[in-house]
Amino acid sequence: MTTTSARPVDGVPVAPPGMGPARAAAGRSGNGGFVLACLVPALVLFVVFMLVPTVNVFRMSLYTWSGFSPQMRFVGLGNFTRLIDDEQFVRAFQNTVALLVVVTVVTMGLGLFLAAIMTRQRLRGRNLYRFILYIPSVLSVVVLAAIFSAVYDQENGLLNGTLRLLSLDGLQQIWLGNQQIVLYSVAIAMVWQSLGYYLVLYMASMSSIPEELYEASALDGASAGRQFFTITVPLIWQSLRTTLTFFIMSAVNLSFVLVRAMTGGGPDGASEVLLSYMYKQAYTNSSYGYGMAIGVVIFAFSFLVSLLVSRATRREPLQF
Amino acid sequence: MKKLFLAGAAVAAFSLLAGCSAGTGDSDSATTTTLTVAALEGGYGKDMYTQVIDAYRKSHPGVDVKLQISKSIEDEISPNMKAGRFPDVVVLGQGRKAALTETLIKDKSLEDLTAVLSAKVPGEQATVGEKLTDGIIGSLNTNPYGNDQTYLLPMYYAPTGLFYNKALLAQQGWPVPATWDEMFALGEKAKARGIALFTYPTAGYLDSFFFALLADIGGEQFYTDVMTYKQGVWQTPQARQALDITTRLLSYAAKTTVGYANEQDFTKNQQAILDNKALFMPNGTWIVGEMKDAPRAAGFQWGLTPLPAVTAGGKRYITTSVESVWIPSAAAHKDAAKDFIEYLYSDEAAQIFAKSSAIQPVKGIAATLTGETAEFYKVYEDPAVAALVGGFAGTPPVEGVDIKGTLFDTANSIISGDKTEDQWQAALNDASEKLRQAR
Repeated sequence: MTTTSARPVDGVPVAPPGMGPARAAAGRSGNGGFVLACLVPALVLFVVFMLVPTVNVFRMSLYTWSGFSPQMRFVGLGNFTRLIDDEQFVRAFQNTVALLVVVTVVTMGLGLFLAAIMTRQRLRGRNLYRFILYIPSVLSVVVLAAIFSAVYDQENGLLNGTLRLLSLDGLQQIWLGNQQIVLYSVAIAMVWQSLGYYLVLYMASMSSIPEELYEASALDGASAGRQFFTITVPLIWQSLRTTLTFFIMSAVNLSFVLVRAMTGGGPDGASEVLLSYMYKQAYTNSSYGYGMAIGVVIFAFSFLVSLLVSRATRREPLQF
Repeated sequence: MKKLFLAGAAVAAFSLLAGCSAGTGDSDSATTTTLTVAALEGGYGKDMYTQVIDAYRKSHPGVDVKLQISKSIEDEISPNMKAGRFPDVVVLGQGRKAALTETLIKDKSLEDLTAVLSAKVPGEQATVGEKLTDGIIGSLNTNPYGNDQTYLLPMYYAPTGLFYNKALLAQQGWPVPATWDEMFALGEKAKARGIALFTYPTAGYLDSFFFALLADIGGEQFYTDVMTYKQGVWQTPQARQALDITTRLLSYAAKTTVGYANEQDFTKNQQAILDNKALFMPNGTWIVGEMKDAPRAAGFQWGLTPLPAVTAGGKRYITTSVESVWIPSAAAHKDAAKDFIEYLYSDEAAQIFAKSSAIQPVKGIAATLTGETAEFYKVYEDPAVAALVGGFAGTPPVEGVDIKGTLFDTANSIISGDKTEDQWQAALNDASEKLRQAR
């Protein structure tokens, strides 16, 4: 186990063998025009469909506009100062952060644990488990909402029904009607949906770890837990970092579709998340500019969190 | 060679872009006008529109009418509207979730239709205004800015109120409560039998309930004051009384109400009425069609009653939902559109609509109704009951303020005990004041 040595130094690319620096440079200038010509269509598409709309979101956040009329009024940062006083926005922000934390911790923890068991313990029927756990990832969110509507149903739901069967009637809840727990009900659905995907991802990186490392450490008397923390986790660190970014995006995006299909942000705004509140403001409350200001906050927030997470988890990559 | 490549790439790129904007050319030819009509496909179906348009084409050979109809018509026409391509005639009421009509009202982007009222219906002697039921024009629903200018014409009207199972009340020997005192007394009796007095599909359905309650308590002037955000209106004793009655009623709500009050499960709340688990719910006449395949208690029969009166013998209002027809002020063929709207009120068109149970607010139409529909429209025959039309007045958009959400959705928190009546009143006062200042 050593650190990588063949990395490019200071960003200078290493020329492939058999091609001197001079030849490489000449080839580049000769093909430059062709390369450029090939890139132009993609670049134009990128500018028109990605850059322009994104810049537009930022521009629109400085205006008051209903979305339809030709009248747009420039208000500077007025939309953003309004946001600070908007209790519902603050609540939606808190909910999004709570979902981000809960879903990330639970999905990552469970995913790692299950992946380790399935790859290391040679579990009988593990392909079947993997298959079953992966199914939710390919379901559409509307199907998911229908399934969880049946699970959470307060009268004949799977959850309350099981609790009744076990004589645990006291634990029965109105899962989607109680403002204190509705957010966690949504979180459980999110975990259920994404667990299989991350499980497969972690299993793939774990199975590429050479068996000798485990054998050697076992001879040295390392327990399964010790192996997990000193061999498995460090060696799949890069996958973990990547999935963290996925978690942030899914907490923002998946929570919107799920909340919209399952609770509509209710009861009384208790499960409102940033994107669903943005949608309500931009389209139902005819405050398009205000909605775009929320969009800018979401953009800045996810960008910042991704950056922080990426910085905080940076390690020298390990090789085997 | 290089330049050729670049030129080729540029051409490819531009042709891609051109492809995106192709198909926007005006299809108008010199001789015929093409009128685009966008309509919401509600419970009445779409056949009636195609039939009316066919009939219109026959009498107006110079005009071609293109119909765009969908259950989510807002989603289909708003992208084009954002790009500046507006339909000429839109049949779409207020109170929809997408709030397209409300947005255009707030924006003052509707064409003034006051002149249409005094225009003669094509092929008939009467004007549109003369044919319409008295009193239907003039509310905020047709004159959204509270003045004499009419921007939306009423298309179909339907009573909304408390729906219940007639058979259950008859079987238990319970009369339909005429006052709130009787209502709450019934609540106790029902509770003893394990039946909840009240439920609602989602909190948004409380609109018909609240509007009628406010008018019952304070009269039409008070109702208009609330709808136009008069200063301090939510601090008046009348407003407090409305919240008192509602809070008390919500204490009788079925326990399952809040948990099912979402897009996914609201039919389960409606099912509670069919299963005799709850007595009353606010709803509209579409409920019959919406729940027609659902299982129900033996002998079930839909009934509709206005809200109980505040004092015995007091006037009772019944919130009447009115679909509207309007013209966006950015439409291309406004004159042809107005002519088409005038035709929609002709006897010929009214008959086609009525066949699909779409009842226009035209004089003398109630006499022609039959069956369950006629039952529902009978509520208007009681002299103590008056129709109440309208909703909150349009204002320029106020960021973060949604008074309907504050008024209706808070009911969920009142039932679950997460908010108090005082907090509700304060939030309403706050939202109303912000909207008043924006007007």
